[in-house]
Amino acid sequence: MSPLVGIVANPVSASDIRRVVANASTLQVTDRANIILRVLSALRACGVENVLMMPEKSGIRRHITRAYERAANLKEDIFPQIHHVRQDITTTVQDTLKATAAMKEAGCKVIIVLGGDGTHRAVVSQCGDIPIAGISTGTNNAFPEHREPTITGLAVGLAAMGRVPESIAFEGNKRLDIKIGDRADDIAIVDVAVVTERFVGAKAIWKPENFRELFVTFSDPEVIGMSAIAGLLEPVSRRDSHGLMVQLTPPHEAKMRLNVPFAPGIIGAIGIGDVKHMMPGVPVKLDFPAGTIALDGERELAFDQTDDVTITLVKDAFRTVNVSAIMNYASKQGLMKLN
Amino acid sequence: MSNNPFPLPKEQLLEAYTKMKTIREFEERLHVEFAKGDIPGFVHLYAGEEASGTGIMMHLEDKDRIASTHRGHGHCIAKGVEVEGMMAEIYGKVTGSCRGKGGSMHIADLSKGMMGANGILGAGAPLICGAALASKYRGDGGVGITFFGDGASNQGTVLESMNLAAVWNLPVIFVVENNGYAESTSVDYAVAVDSYIDRAAGFGIPGVTVDGTDFFAVYEAAGEIIKRAREGGGPAFLECKMVRFFGHFEGDAQTYRAKGENELPQNLPFEGHESRRYLGR
Ligand SMILES: Cc1ncc(C[n+]2csc(CCOP(=O)(O)OP(=O)(O)O)c2C)c(N)n1
Ligand SMILES: [Mg+2]
Repeated sequence: MSPLVGIVANPVSASDIRRVVANASTLQVTDRANIILRVLSALRACGVENVLMMPEKSGIRRHITRAYERAANLKEDIFPQIHHVRQDITTTVQDTLKATAAMKEAGCKVIIVLGGDGTHRAVVSQCGDIPIAGISTGTNNAFPEHREPTITGLAVGLAAMGRVPESIAFEGNKRLDIKIGDRADDIAIVDVAVVTERFVGAKAIWKPENFRELFVTFSDPEVIGMSAIAGLLEPVSRRDSHGLMVQLTPPHEAKMRLNVPFAPGIIGAIGIGDVKHMMPGVPVKLDFPAGTIALDGERELAFDQTDDVTITLVKDAFRTVNVSAIMNYASKQGLMKLN
Repeated sequence: MSNNPFPLPKEQLLEAYTKMKTIREFEERLHVEFAKGDIPGFVHLYAGEEASGTGIMMHLEDKDRIASTHRGHGHCIAKGVEVEGMMAEIYGKVTGSCRGKGGSMHIADLSKGMMGANGILGAGAPLICGAALASKYRGDGGVGITFFGDGASNQGTVLESMNLAAVWNLPVIFVVENNGYAESTSVDYAVAVDSYIDRAAGFGIPGVTVDGTDFFAVYEAAGEIIKRAREGGGPAFLECKMVRFFGHFEGDAQTYRAKGENELPQNLPFEGHESRRYLGR
């Protein structure tokens, strides 16, 4: 049987306050659907016949249905068959969690994810061993790499069809585990930031005077968001076994101030304290009285003096599709040759 | 308050809480009274949507104008209109806010910047462009907020106003209170361009979506948007997502809704939250 590929596309990413406080972009629903159509034709070109999608009712499905109708009228046989996970639609992150779990259950070879860091984080919390391939459509996108989705689709197609050895096609990634006593247990895939606000509110974080601690799985001076702070101090690759911890202070009190693009369109002073390596498997106890923990850029968990908060870096926690390695392998081995 | 974990001081937290609680009680009482048959006309209840109106209105002064909807009681209370006058108005009494001539759908109090509930869907948007233009012309730093439902969002008047506000860079905030239904028509069916953020982007207006039942989410987002508009940053669009509690109007049998779809949250957005401990109630 031909392999099954899953697609989780979040129709509601990129709608937070950063469109107002900065000039963060809006990716229109029709564009999200067009991205999926490009991925679908790439999958089909590699021989993938069946795709399992997360259902939603924000316009993506409608747009894709129309495109399929047009393709049928024009007698173009360029798309795989689409199946939707059967589940209630809540228009919340629950949809992503449930659909991912169902894709795992259904035996998907790979799950393609459209969204920002938050959507990827939600998928990672449920996908277990199934490799994911990220396509960036959110606001804060440190995790998914930026490239034309057609290429991501091709790489996923080749990997799913078993044309590339797993050791080349997939790679391990780090994760941060957050525990608040036995009250909360959560994860982050790029960064954990501790801020002084004690309410979740509008979720995004954009006030440097309230930043206090930062933990990152990797840091790259080329990315946007909180992990950019670490990236400009000491780059840590996704493949390194360690992460980084950075103490943050209000900029006006800081010995060292760094100019950082910590959100799209916002470049501002960040106060820097100690910078340390974070070793995998060693829980770090949070030494801060009360605030909120932002996971991959969004405030999620409030805590106070009565809570024990620990953060642990986990190695090889989940797998991603290595698009660059696959496409280079495809070139060397002539995988795309038609005769 | 050094240990205040919230974005507003204790007195203001209490004020917001009181507003939301007043709205909820006002609406629940009307729900009971309407069934007795003494109230003329229709009433549309705002219960369950309190955090939206209150989270926004906490940033406003009397000089700031709002244009409300047919579901306007909550907006009135949050903007400071006297509840006795409102209730009398709903009963058509001469002691009402508009001398009993308006009823539920036309409560207004210009002294509070409340330009009126409105029986005509989408009619508030052009009005508020006028009010905002006046503020801009006078340079008084006032902003205008127009509320409309997901159904009303499709009215030409709303779309024209978005265009006008963008072209003239008016201090207008377009707030869609998306409660999933326009009478019995689901938002999924009736709104082409399924995302309000996309729609606003089509006019070059930044849009934000928040959980309209979370007071702090609304308060924080509205704060940034209103501050920006006051300082000349132009119009913005805010989508507050929520669930309509009661029927479209009182007496609606709601046969079109799925079972359990509108289960009444027992707590106000404020309750069951850390604020309870902080406020000592
Ligand atoms: C111009 C106009 N058309 C139709 C109506 C009849 N009508 C009253 S309320 C309503 C539905 C409004 O839905 P929505 O805007 O979503 O607000 P909600 O009732 O959900 O708060 C309709 C169609 C009206 N009052 N005005
Ligand atoms: Mg509605």
